[in-house]
Amino acid sequence: MAPLKAELLLLLRSRISALALILLFVLTALAVASGLSAVARQNAVIERVVAAQAIDRKVVEAQYGKPGTEAGNAAYYTFHLTTDPPSSLAFAAIGQRDIQPYVLRVRLLGLQSQLYESETFNPELALPGPFDFAFVLIYLAPLVIVALMHDLITGEREAGRLRLLQSLPPTGGDLWLRRTAIRYGLVLLAMLVPLVVGAMLAGAGRAPVLLFTLVSALYLAVWFGISLAVAARGRSSAGTATALVGCWIALTLLIPAGANAIITRALPVAKSVELTLAQREAVHRSWDIPKDEIFQPFFQKRPEWRDTPPVTGRFHWKWYYAMHEVGDDSVAGDLEAYRTNLAHRQTWTGLLGWITPAAAVQTLVHRLADTDLPAHLAYQDSITAFHDRLRVHLYPYVFNERTFELGDFARLPTYAPRASTQSAPVAPLAGLGALTVLALFAGWLSLRRMRKVSAGA
Amino acid sequence: MRSAAVFRVMQEEGRALVRNRVAVLAGLILAALVIMATVLSLEQRNAIDSARARYQVASDAQFDAQPDRHPHRMVHYGQFVFRPLSVLAFFDPGVDGFTGNTVFLEGHRQNSANFSEARQSSLLLRFGQLTPAFVLQTLAPLLIIFLAFGTIARERERGTLRLLLAQGLRPGDLIAGKMLGHLAAAALIGLPAGLALLIAAAVGWAPPGASLMLALAYALYLMSWAAGSVLVSALVARGRDALMLLVSVWMILVVLLPRTLPEVAAAQVHVPTRIETDVAIGRELKSIGDSHNPDDPYFSDFKAKVLAKYGVNDVKELPVQWSGLVSIEGERLTSGLFDRYAQEAFAREQQQNDLVRVFGAVSPLISLRQASMTLAGTDTESHQDFLDQVERHRFAFVQALNLMQVQQIPNVNPGPDPRISADNWKTLPAFAYRAPDTLALNADRLILNFLILSLWFVCLAGLTVLAARRLGKVS
Repeated sequence: MAPLKAELLLLLRSRISALALILLFVLTALAVASGLSAVARQNAVIERVVAAQAIDRKVVEAQYGKPGTEAGNAAYYTFHLTTDPPSSLAFAAIGQRDIQPYVLRVRLLGLQSQLYESETFNPELALPGPFDFAFVLIYLAPLVIVALMHDLITGEREAGRLRLLQSLPPTGGDLWLRRTAIRYGLVLLAMLVPLVVGAMLAGAGRAPVLLFTLVSALYLAVWFGISLAVAARGRSSAGTATALVGCWIALTLLIPAGANAIITRALPVAKSVELTLAQREAVHRSWDIPKDEIFQPFFQKRPEWRDTPPVTGRFHWKWYYAMHEVGDDSVAGDLEAYRTNLAHRQTWTGLLGWITPAAAVQTLVHRLADTDLPAHLAYQDSITAFHDRLRVHLYPYVFNERTFELGDFARLPTYAPRASTQSAPVAPLAGLGALTVLALFAGWLSLRRMRKVSAGA
Repeated sequence: MRSAAVFRVMQEEGRALVRNRVAVLAGLILAALVIMATVLSLEQRNAIDSARARYQVASDAQFDAQPDRHPHRMVHYGQFVFRPLSVLAFFDPGVDGFTGNTVFLEGHRQNSANFSEARQSSLLLRFGQLTPAFVLQTLAPLLIIFLAFGTIARERERGTLRLLLAQGLRPGDLIAGKMLGHLAAAALIGLPAGLALLIAAAVGWAPPGASLMLALAYALYLMSWAAGSVLVSALVARGRDALMLLVSVWMILVVLLPRTLPEVAAAQVHVPTRIETDVAIGRELKSIGDSHNPDDPYFSDFKAKVLAKYGVNDVKELPVQWSGLVSIEGERLTSGLFDRYAQEAFAREQQQNDLVRVFGAVSPLISLRQASMTLAGTDTESHQDFLDQVERHRFAFVQALNLMQVQQIPNVNPGPDPRISADNWKTLPAFAYRAPDTLALNADRLILNFLILSLWFVCLAGLTVLAARRLGKVS
């Protein structure tokens, strides 16, 4: 332990190193606090919306809960609130939660014209991206590692101690590996302490937090491997720093941004607009075509209503809601194509994790926090399932021409927030693991090469 | 003979930069990046714009092709509008990827703008979009730092600084020459992007005024980084320390501040959700009047006025359709509320933005980004202007349809399925977006941002005078 302690003191005596570590700790703590504040705000918004919805429901009940109200009329004016509260790890990786709606109201009409509504969010605030643990981990921690590692070897050479150090008999393993390990341990400590405190405050489960820390530890290890590889080959500290910052630009800014440009062009999502246009056409066309053309596909899907009396007049609520459901079903093909492209976008992003560790971590931590695009799609799916429950619950009123009474409001289905879909996908995890091994191996190789060179000299 | 000395230092600096293989390579890579980003972004912008234009034409054609109908059906059939993308969005797409770009317009509802790119992308998008603006705002300063951090500090480390000054070169001339050399290098770095802007303006594709100002804003920004880097290099003892300091400053001003401030702003000012707004509008509307309630004072009053105007005693005697008149009045009321609530929400968003924009004085990136988006016509104000135009169009087209109902649907005995001719739909104008004059829309803020950027540059360049004095003393 004695050499380790001596190295630790040596490291902390360097102003830049101590400063970088303190900065990292403070930034991580701030990011965790900022994430917790963002999550608390989202929960507060949900509470406010629940209160607003309760007020609205009272008004609707007063107006459409009168005895003898047509159920179709009540269903038309009754909105149902769905919410998507943040997961317990969302504070660490806010992901898309700053731009995706997490509250949405739906009613019995066609779902496809309701599902994609936006909520208010300030685009200018969202533009730079959220300040959370994931951001500090992915962007800032590598720069701190560069500050700690860039002069690991060249610093000793510039101070004239390198030959002396290399001629000393090895005490307790390789000097450079030991120094790297100490730096790695301190960086881990600076980042993980705030994270774990935050996770405890947020009440996150042990397993996801463990996985989250594992992903963080692997990512940081990749950067230590890269730094070691470059530092052992560098001739001057400034040159090493330049090369490392170059790596950082390429791996965290350029490759991801370039890949995104390619994915966006290769996998267009214009189907979303097309399906909305098509759905409107289908619903409104229904007013001008024989009612049979609506009921035929409808009864095929829901045969239990086949034997209700035929609609003879101009308007009947059951025809009205049937046409909305048929309108939704008529765009099922477009919807599937749309969702397939969204899924492909996600898949390709995951695969990019084999090339750049930043993309792998980006995918992993947000999947663990359940705050990415798949999380939002899961929310949409849960709304779709709820909307179907709503239809199944309300159709008996409409098709059997039962009136809607005040007591019926209490019997309406209520939306229960979806279960978390958090997971640790294999592809980016394996990619990150492979990159870690590769980076550490490259570091080790460089060290060996440096030793040979200096032994030969 | 002072200017000759300055010029020689500048020349020497240029020669040193050209001899530095790493610097030349990095410069070439950045130039390639700017060109690649310009081409990609140009192509992307044109693809987006033509897709939106195509959808607009298709949806307008669908509207015109609707059959004979009751006008109120057309009020709910509605119209889709798509936001055309400004030409300069290729340079800086701004918030366009984050705001929805299509709105569905119908009667007595105000729908949101939907289908933003960000909501339909993986999180990769949040790494930043590869555009000229991104490369120049984020990466170019780093290159400038790497070229300039050692310009004086290294001379000092090598001992050549003392030598130069001993030979009679004034410290001021030395710094001025180095500064000019690096300003020229910064200008060179921005050149490919500047050329793209100038060409776009010269061929009459992009607005010339905004393009020129855009080039000027980026030039000021990049030259501030060059001036700051030379300054630090003159003040810090070792090249390595200058590099660490400059990279730290870059990290704080370019990466950290723009990210941390939004959370502070969002925590300070809250903007109500659409749901809360919908509920509030519904309640307020009820408190004004309920057209379904025969005893409602507001609509009784409205009825009395209408009857008096036409000189009849009962709505059945009206020469025009009564429920159409009620629709027009109802739409007028709701639309007034929509406007008010939308303005309030936007004012709150602006309050949030102002909290961030104040820090433009600290981080020139924030000022530059603001000016850049404004000039490119892709800032929040331009988006809000689009939404305002959309709401005006919505109101006009819904009221036009309501008027058709008033004038063409019989007031009494309309039959079970009253309809009017499909020819009517073609008389309604399609949405015609008028691109705002970006220079006028945000003139105040634009002036402020240019002022901040100029101040940064002037102050940093001016500080070198002090640095020169110090340089003279130290040696």
